[in-house]
Amino acid sequence: MTKVQLKGVRKEFGKFVAISEIDLDINSGELVALLGPSGCGKTTTLRMIAGLEVPSFGQILFDDQDVSEVPVQDRNVGMVFQRYALFPHMTVEKNVMFGLKVRGTPTEEIKHRLEEILDVVQLQQFRHRFPAQLSGGQMQRVAIARTLITNPSVLMMDEPLANLDTKLRGEMRRFIRDLQQRLNITTIFVTHDQVEAMELADRVAVIFNGKLAQYDAPDALYQRPNSIEIADFMGADNIYEAQISAGRAKTAFGELQLDQLSNPVRDGVGHVLLRAEAVDLLLEADAASENVIPGKVTGREFFGATVNYTVECNGETVTVNEQSRRMVDVGQDVWLSIQPHRIWVIQDTA
Amino acid sequence: MPTPKTTELARHRKERMWMWLQLLPVLAVLTVLFGGALVLAVMQSLGFAPWFGVNTFPDFSYFAALWGGGFFWKSLGLTLYYATISTLIALVLGTFLALALVRHFPSKSLYKYLYKLPLMIPYTVGIALAVIMLGNGGMLSRIFAFVGLIGDPSEFPQILKTHYGWGVIAVYVWKQTPFVTLTLYAVLLGVGRETEEAATILGANKMQVFFQVTLPQILPGIVSSTLIIFAFNIGAFEAPFILGGGFPDTLPVVAWRYFNDADYTLQLQGMATVVSITLIASGILYSYLALYRRYERRIGRN
Repeated sequence: MTKVQLKGVRKEFGKFVAISEIDLDINSGELVALLGPSGCGKTTTLRMIAGLEVPSFGQILFDDQDVSEVPVQDRNVGMVFQRYALFPHMTVEKNVMFGLKVRGTPTEEIKHRLEEILDVVQLQQFRHRFPAQLSGGQMQRVAIARTLITNPSVLMMDEPLANLDTKLRGEMRRFIRDLQQRLNITTIFVTHDQVEAMELADRVAVIFNGKLAQYDAPDALYQRPNSIEIADFMGADNIYEAQISAGRAKTAFGELQLDQLSNPVRDGVGHVLLRAEAVDLLLEADAASENVIPGKVTGREFFGATVNYTVECNGETVTVNEQSRRMVDVGQDVWLSIQPHRIWVIQDTA
Repeated sequence: MPTPKTTELARHRKERMWMWLQLLPVLAVLTVLFGGALVLAVMQSLGFAPWFGVNTFPDFSYFAALWGGGFFWKSLGLTLYYATISTLIALVLGTFLALALVRHFPSKSLYKYLYKLPLMIPYTVGIALAVIMLGNGGMLSRIFAFVGLIGDPSEFPQILKTHYGWGVIAVYVWKQTPFVTLTLYAVLLGVGRETEEAATILGANKMQVFFQVTLPQILPGIVSSTLIIFAFNIGAFEAPFILGGGFPDTLPVVAWRYFNDADYTLQLQGMATVVSITLIASGILYSYLALYRRYERRIGRN
């Protein structure tokens, strides 16, 4: 178990600044996702932690020891690449044994650890196959086994599920999570998929344009993003300009009562974020409900388990997501209701 | 239940015919020009040359005379020596260059053009350059004399026209290193750097990464490029003719001397030499490819 810290890390490639400055604390045994759009610098950050890139400025610490200039071979880290990077000319077991062999581990120990790890990743029956004879999920498990057999202090994964189909991706997510929890290994993985990050990670570091935008638990990031950019990246549909005054938000479609305890706000301009699944769709006006807004259903998207409604409210469009236990017709008059503590207000920190 | 009878669809038949039609020009060139010439060469080497008034077909005496003479084996040794040493040196230099080119360094784009220059210059120019640079009285000997390392350019050690063949090897290496580099560079770009990085992270040092990870992956490029340059070197004529050490010559030069002899019936002996070169080169290259195929099967490439 290793604690990883990045202190004022900056990376420049010539005149191009890939990472302007990042500070990050990753606790021992924690699973952290580096999340962001393509080209934001998340893979560069991961490669710097692995030692494949040297930071231009700043420090990388493993258990408070500066490893910024320690060569890759001496860091004892593990990395699972997006395209697996398996050695195509070696069988599964030779791939898995590679790390131990080049480190000069005794043959008996290699054999013992090979059996152990092949059991863990359930690849015993494929041990004599070559990578080209494996499916994507099997290749991914070989890549994980090849890394884990060396007992790395930090496990890193670069978009580990990007090349898998939807069903396999779900299975591999659970597999990685179970394995990480069982081995209690500090794990950092890169992804551009917010669902993947939320499902897998203890904490998510969102990186935009080479800067750390927010570092928080998945639910906090989803419910309480600290900027519109993050809210938008996390898939928020309903973000509206608002004038905040005395604990109320005045928007184009009506006034909303806010919960000052869960979301302390100051008077002035801001944006309100209404998560689509937090909005209740009522077919009759309910005086007992809070923050009721009248509207008309203008669109409906059926996803099987859930259904999305587009509701027109005083010229603004509100997206409502609910379980598909009922179907509301397009054109029907409805009332939207949202509880004050489910409304999140984003204001400039200045 | 009766098995349904399947017949080839007319469209499929048409497509197959069209494919053969497209292949026809290449097949014709290969069959008539290459195959025809080969058959004629073999027949001539076996005594079939009625246009010279010789027709003793099938007559193995030309081969017997050639293979029975001690000079033939010396010539073969020289031919293989020049071909092998220059192929190996070009391979080592080309591999280093290709590995360097996939990394980032200042003025890389300029260097990427520079290293290809010998590819565009003919062999004869390379031979002339070797004479100008490496000969006694050449640039190098004059520089040595100028800085006082030798008293006179004529004291410069003999590099050209010896059976060590440094001049021949230098020209081959100069011309073929860029070819090997070009081939391996393309292969390395296709392979990418991820497997090397993965090996490094797993604890491998540079030598382990090269020999256990990179080399097996660029082997197809190594085999194809060395195969081409070795085949060329074994049959090349100009460089050993101009820069070689004289008798015993390499086999292509021996063949040329037979063809150029006033006694035109010796052309049959020359043809036996050419067929011998073909047989030896084919044997070596076939064994090389067979060994490589065996290795490929061992690493799961079918």
